Amino acid sequence: MVAFAVSSQLVTLAVLLALDALLYFTLASALLSRRGRRVNAKNLAEAFKALEAALKQAVPDLPDGFTWGEALERLRSAGVETDGMENALKGYERYRYGGRPLPDVDYHEVVMVANLLGGVGARKGGISILGQ
Amino acid sequence: MQERVESQSLGNEIRDKVVSEVSRFVVGREKETEILLTCLIARGHVLLEGPPGVSKTLLANTFSRCLGLEFKRVQFTPDILPLDIIGGFVFNLKDREFEFRKGPVFTNILLADELNRAPPKVQSALLESMQERQVSVEGHTEKFPFPFMVIATQNPLEFAGVYPLPEGQLDRFMVKLNFKYPSVAAEASILERNLSDIEISEVKTVLTRDQLEELVKQVSQVKVSPEVLAYVAKVAEATRTVASLALGASPRAMVQLLHCSRAKALLAGRDFVTPDDIKEIAIDVLTHRLTIDRTAVTSGRSGNPSDILMSILDRVEPPR
Repeated sequence: MVAFAVSSQLVTLAVLLALDALLYFTLASALLSRRGRRVNAKNLAEAFKALEAALKQAVPDLPDGFTWGEALERLRSAGVETDGMENALKGYERYRYGGRPLPDVDYHEVVMVANLLGGVGARKGGISILGQ
Repeated sequence: MQERVESQSLGNEIRDKVVSEVSRFVVGREKETEILLTCLIARGHVLLEGPPGVSKTLLANTFSRCLGLEFKRVQFTPDILPLDIIGGFVFNLKDREFEFRKGPVFTNILLADELNRAPPKVQSALLESMQERQVSVEGHTEKFPFPFMVIATQNPLEFAGVYPLPEGQLDRFMVKLNFKYPSVAAEASILERNLSDIEISEVKTVLTRDQLEELVKQVSQVKVSPEVLAYVAKVAEATRTVASLALGASPRAMVQLLHCSRAKALLAGRDFVTPDDIKEIAIDVLTHRLTIDRTAVTSGRSGNPSDILMSILDRVEPPR
C-alpha cells in the first residue's frame, strides 16, 4: 500500500517536471524566435531594407509598386510619428538615387518602426492598425 | 558643388514663391500651379481640360504675370486661319516690299483658349510651331522668344462644332490637367474673395528672367539613376502589354515623363529623381497619350485611362 502511494507520487512528480520542462522550452523558443525577428541594422541602408521587408509582410494591402513617400504617408495616417523617418529618408534617397555616400544620419526611428511592424520575419497582417 | 546646392534651394524657393503668389488670386489650384511651373522649366506645353468657369484662364494669366513674362491670349473659333496665329507676310506700302508680321504666337506664354474649336489646319500649324519653337513662312524662319510655353484649354463637354485633337497632336503636350469643380470649402473661399474686386494687375513678379534661365539649365543636370531609368522602362512596357489599352505610352512619352520628373525634383530642392517624382507626375503626363481598347470596355473592364495607369503603377515595383 505504502509502496503504491510512493510510486504514484513519483509518477506525478515526473509528469509535473515534464510539463515544467515543456513550458520553459516553449517560452525559451518563443523568446529566441522573437529575438531572431528583431531588426539589427548596422547602417541606414540596412534599416530601410528591413523596413521594406517588414512593410511587405505586415501590410499586405500595400501595393507592390509602393514608394517610400507612399509608405510614410500610410504610416502617418495610421498615427505613427514619422518626422525622424522623413529626415532619415532624405539621407537614404540621396544615397540610393543620388549616388552620394551613405550619410551618417540617425535611423533609430526606422528600425523602431520596422520592429513595431513585427521585424524582418513578421507574419502577414501583423499590424492591424495599418489596414485601411 | 556649392553652385549646385544653391540652384536646388533656388528651385525650392521659387516654387514656394510662385505657388504662394498665384494662390492669392486663384483659390485651390496650388497643385496645378506647381505643374505649370514644372512644365515651364522642363520646356513643355500644357493642355487644360475642364468645363467653363473653373479658373483655367485666370490661372494662366496670373501664372505668367507672377513670372514677369509676356502673355497673350487667342480665342480659337472655327473661322480662324493659321496666319492669325503664326503671322505672315504683309505688303508694306511705304517701303514697297513684303515684311513678316509676327502673330500672337510670338510671346512667352500663349493661352490658346478652346483649341478644339479651331479647324485641324490651324491646330496643326500651332502644334508644329510648339514643337520646333520657331515659325517658317515662305522660307523665312523666325524663332520664338525664351521662354515659350503654350497653355491650351479645351472643354470636354462640347461636341458640336469642335475638332477633337488627334492622338498625335495631343502627344505634343507634356501634361494634360483636368480641371474639376472646386470643393465646397474652396467654392466658399472663391465666393468670399469675389465679394471684393480682384485686380489682376496687383500680381507681383516673383522671378527674374535670369533665375528662370538658370532653372531651365539646371533641369538637364538633375541625375537619374540607372535603377530609376529601368523603373520608367518597366512602366512603359506595362502600358503596352495591358489588355485594356489599345495603345500604350510611346518612347517619346516616357522621355517627357523623365524630363518632367527632373524638373519636379529640382523644384523639390533635389538634384536627383526619385520613384515618387515619377509616380506623382505620371498620371498627368501619360494619361492623354494612352488609347483605350474599346473591346475591353464592352467586356466590362475599366475604360478610364487614369485608373488603368494607376493600377499599372501600383503593380510595377520601383527601386527602394
